[in-house]
Amino acid sequence: MTEKHQSDILNNWIGQYKGLLFKITRSYAFTPMDRDDLFQEITVQIWRSIPSFRGECAVMTWLYRIALNTAIRFSQREKKQSQNKIDIDHANYVLIETDNTSDDKLSWLYHEISKLHEIDRSICLLLLEGFSYKEMAEIVGITESNIGVRINRVKKYLTDKSKNYDF
Amino acid sequence: MTFDDIKKVWDMQSNETMYAINESTMRKNIVSKKEKGIHITNVSELLSIVANLGSGTLIMMMGKSNLYLLILSLWMLATGTYCLVARIKRLRGKKKFDRTMLGDLDHAIDIASYQVRFSSLLRWTIIPIALLIVLSKTDSLLWIVSLLLFFAITFYASGWEHNYYKRRLGNLLKLRENLANF
Repeated sequence: MTEKHQSDILNNWIGQYKGLLFKITRSYAFTPMDRDDLFQEITVQIWRSIPSFRGECAVMTWLYRIALNTAIRFSQREKKQSQNKIDIDHANYVLIETDNTSDDKLSWLYHEISKLHEIDRSICLLLLEGFSYKEMAEIVGITESNIGVRINRVKKYLTDKSKNYDF
Repeated sequence: MTFDDIKKVWDMQSNETMYAINESTMRKNIVSKKEKGIHITNVSELLSIVANLGSGTLIMMMGKSNLYLLILSLWMLATGTYCLVARIKRLRGKKKFDRTMLGDLDHAIDIASYQVRFSSLLRWTIIPIALLIVLSKTDSLLWIVSLLLFFAITFYASGWEHNYYKRRLGNLLKLRENLANF
């Protein structure tokens, strides 16, 4: 595969699935700088994965797996490093926020999702995106019954939290 | 709110306009990250192989008359060869991992375990090298003290690297435990 072909595929995927990547980025990174770093890291990992993509699963499933894995590991690393970061070069941000990030209910939902453990957070995102248990089990690599237990936990957590929120 | 209501909140968001992508900056950054992406394992393996085999050969050529230097050169050649064999084994025996998040995690754990073993080997090999060098030339106390100090610092510093890999492996194992057990 030539580098140009690889880049064309990347541009195509990013163009088509950027919404998915934005949601994951927003759920795992909480400052503009971290979001930028994570988005770039996910993009690089996707770029690297292109030669090994054989079309055995849907592109969306493939991207979810790579993006969530990258986000989980990024999130673990950033916990330790975020205090040392200095926010400097706004002009060179890759992601520029638009007004659509400021919806109250949505902000509340992202806030609650951000409090979940990294693994449950990814299950929560897959659940909200409407993946079936079987698809989730295939993406995450654990059994459907394990997915079921986690989903019940996530659902209970979010509905309980929503009771305290004044909509 | 029921979970269905929460899902409606989620579905309301517009995928396309949450962020705008500054494409030129992204392209520039990705190219630079790609170039930096030479795997750290590759670099440390190659460095160890070249350094051990190179120094071992050089010492063997220069210090034939000194038994300790001869042993030292053999030791370094053996370490270099071991690193080379380990590298070839690693590259040939690339294990297959599931194409799932758990599979990716197992792959990362496999690499991290290798890094822990490799850094440990390189760390402990400092001790015999230090002893053999000191024994090869015992006529100056200053020389001995300086050398021992140098190797002690090297041993200590290599502990940082080793502990960094160990911490990373520990984090990955914790993550795996959380993913696999519920």
